[in-house]
Amino acid sequence: MEEEILKAQKERASIIKSYSSKPLKESNITLLAKTRNLQYVTIKEIKEETPDTKSFILAPDASKGTYELAPFKAGQYISIKMFVNDIYVTRAYSLSSNPLNPKFYRITIKRVKNGLVSNIMLDEMEENSGLTISLPAGNFGYEPLRDEKNIIAIAGGSGITPFMSLAYEIENSRPQTKLTVFYSVKTLEDIIFKEEIAHFNKKSKRVKFIITLTREEQEGYLNGHINKKMLEPYIAEFNTFLMCGPKALYQTMNEILSEFNIPKKSVHYENYFAEYKPNTNNEYELKVILKNDFVITKCSSTEPLLIALEKAGIKAPSLCRVGTCGFCKSVLLEGKIKMVGSSMPTSLAENDYIHPCVAYPESDIVLRLDI
Amino acid sequence: MIYDYLIVGAGIGGLSAGLNLATHKKKTLILEKNSIPGGLVSTFKRGRFEFDTALYNLYDYGDDVHVGKFRELLKEFGIELETKIVPFNTRIKVLNPEANFVIRGEIKDFIIELERLKEGSIESLKEFMRITKEVHEAMELLKNHEPIDSSIAPNFIKYFNTDSYTALKSLGMPEETIDRLGFLWPELGSPLNKLSFIDFSLFMYKIIFKKNTILLNNSLNLPLKLAARYQELGGRIYYNSLVTEVTKNGKFYLVKTEDNLEYKAKHIIFDVSKRYVYENIIKNHNPEINRLENARTLSPNGVVVYLGLNRSPEELGLKNYNYYAFHTLNSAENVRYMTNLEHETFSAIVPNIMNASASPKNTTILVLKKMFFTDVFKNLNNQNYEQIKEQIAQNLITSFEETFKIDISEYIEEIAVATPVTFASFTNNVDGSFYGYMAKSYDNPIYRFITYPEEETPGFTFVGASSLFGAHVDNAFYSGYYLTEELLKNKEGK
Repeated sequence: MEEEILKAQKERASIIKSYSSKPLKESNITLLAKTRNLQYVTIKEIKEETPDTKSFILAPDASKGTYELAPFKAGQYISIKMFVNDIYVTRAYSLSSNPLNPKFYRITIKRVKNGLVSNIMLDEMEENSGLTISLPAGNFGYEPLRDEKNIIAIAGGSGITPFMSLAYEIENSRPQTKLTVFYSVKTLEDIIFKEEIAHFNKKSKRVKFIITLTREEQEGYLNGHINKKMLEPYIAEFNTFLMCGPKALYQTMNEILSEFNIPKKSVHYENYFAEYKPNTNNEYELKVILKNDFVITKCSSTEPLLIALEKAGIKAPSLCRVGTCGFCKSVLLEGKIKMVGSSMPTSLAENDYIHPCVAYPESDIVLRLDI
Repeated sequence: MIYDYLIVGAGIGGLSAGLNLATHKKKTLILEKNSIPGGLVSTFKRGRFEFDTALYNLYDYGDDVHVGKFRELLKEFGIELETKIVPFNTRIKVLNPEANFVIRGEIKDFIIELERLKEGSIESLKEFMRITKEVHEAMELLKNHEPIDSSIAPNFIKYFNTDSYTALKSLGMPEETIDRLGFLWPELGSPLNKLSFIDFSLFMYKIIFKKNTILLNNSLNLPLKLAARYQELGGRIYYNSLVTEVTKNGKFYLVKTEDNLEYKAKHIIFDVSKRYVYENIIKNHNPEINRLENARTLSPNGVVVYLGLNRSPEELGLKNYNYYAFHTLNSAENVRYMTNLEHETFSAIVPNIMNASASPKNTTILVLKKMFFTDVFKNLNNQNYEQIKEQIAQNLITSFEETFKIDISEYIEEIAVATPVTFASFTNNVDGSFYGYMAKSYDNPIYRFITYPEEETPGFTFVGASSLFGAHVDNAFYSGYYLTEELLKNKEGK
């Protein structure tokens, strides 16, 4: 046997020796995979959409190593990462630009009362300001391999953003599909993308926006919440419903859709707001075991643990902040929590993994977070 | 603190290395870039479906009667899995020349079917079965540094550097039977004319004598269990820790991570391919390593489409567990068709057929996989990425429907598509390759095994599917276990 082994060893050595010693070039798969990390962008343009909403056009910042933006699908979001008073925070915003032109991204931000990030974005950001953002993420949106050709989108307030992106995609690259967007806003003044919507409604044969005002009557607009009668003329034999907005909207819509016998498979929601109001208000101790350190702080039964982590100055990872993406995954070592709307494989749940972004403490907590 | 061993990557190989070292009370640290262990062995959730990324079949696990080595080792470490032995239930369809057959039941049923399809095969098949056992036993001797001579393992010596096709032919096996017997070659990443007969025999030995086994819960459960046990034994693991640099600093190595933390260790074990390590972590272009990498070929990469269907398998007409579509049954010829995006070779798996709880009641999971040889993605870029991904997925779904005459399109409730870029960014596998390096002649696992001590840089050990024993969870596990055993023996005369 030794003879065969020796022969084989020599054979391998001599073959390897016959090859060049030049380093291999990295393939484009490797290069594409490598860009799948943080992205650095500069704000190229800021547009006031409504008195409390602005759009931001983001372009890659080559000086920081982002040469081109990662591709995205209509419906996906990016997460802005920034320090506010030494607190590391992230906020997810749906992309509203044309996915076929990934040379720039557009996000649209509405002012949130006492909002940490929205107020900075609206008041302090200027053209050429830099931002750090995540890769596009999220699974919400039109999926041609799954969905029907007649798409009905339901948008409540700033939930219009992903559908703007979808409108461009349908108009420019999906000649077989039809998109009708029902857009529910309070007043005329609250309409975002007014000109673009008018443009689509004028030029497009397949993309249509129908706006309904819930708090005032105006000529040329529907009035009141989206109802069965409004939808009826647009429902075909097979439909796909996409919804983005507050939970109350989803509830009303579900009742309407069941009247139309729309199968569950054809209805998709963006998990847009994590809405949960616990009926207790207790303060607990939160101990966080980090890689080389630990932090003891407070947490409240009224706020998800992620907020407590951020307030304690911990640079906790997060993306969607509504329990879906799994980016904030941590291990609950001790304590009791209530998770609201979290989506994770059984095996992770069984191994005490939690999503701090939607985990409300119900006792003192010990958390393991590897950062 | 200076760790005895620092392991880069919590894939199955890294975890098994960690388990063995922690069992021997070595100060061990695993650094994993993701927030969960497992690498390619993972599970993700979409809507009401939980999809396993890559692991469906456990080889060399078996049951109480057919105790596989993998099962034995896991038991030694105090780990038991919920598993089930499953029979063959595979539909195979070939375009040219047209063929359509099902392999069902136990290994003996497979052999009988092979004889039925081609009379005069049985003797060579029996001989092959016997040889797999001999090869397996000889390999165990070789691993234990025990002598092998022609009286114990004549065939091991005879076929030591013979490819599978040539070897099976020399047993008098008819060509059609060779092709049918070897239909699982896509799972090995190499066609039979390239694949070492020793490797093929070792693989078939597990299938023949240890039965095919499936996990009854999420495949992510396996690495989670390994990681939990490793930590119970005193091992430390840090997630969210991408290693960016390893440098020598006197008597120990300095390991830096992306988040600017530093660790010291006496020995580094990489559960990442050599190519990735030398390009991204060590960063010095060692000409010998370059030669080796130039001489090797990465195994095929591919696209996987995960479908959650809103009907039961019966309602959909999905009767088989595995589906394979080949352009032609001859693997060498078939590989030539697999060098463009449009080829017609693919496989599918329906976990529900063997495990009713694979998805909620009245739903089905169907996973389609298409592999590519050579760089068919050379024109892929940020602009066309989403379109190309959608196109491949669409073609794959249509091919499945047309080939097996089963409608699935209208029942798709959830869909996720993974490309080589997805796999490369999640696991750091170069080019998103599924099986590490291709097991071609001088680079097949048996050649790697007999040459690794000479090729290894002192202070570094490579484990995982890209290392010694090749792909699959059992082999990745053995690599970590075997190499740490060797390290413990050599360093401390264990």
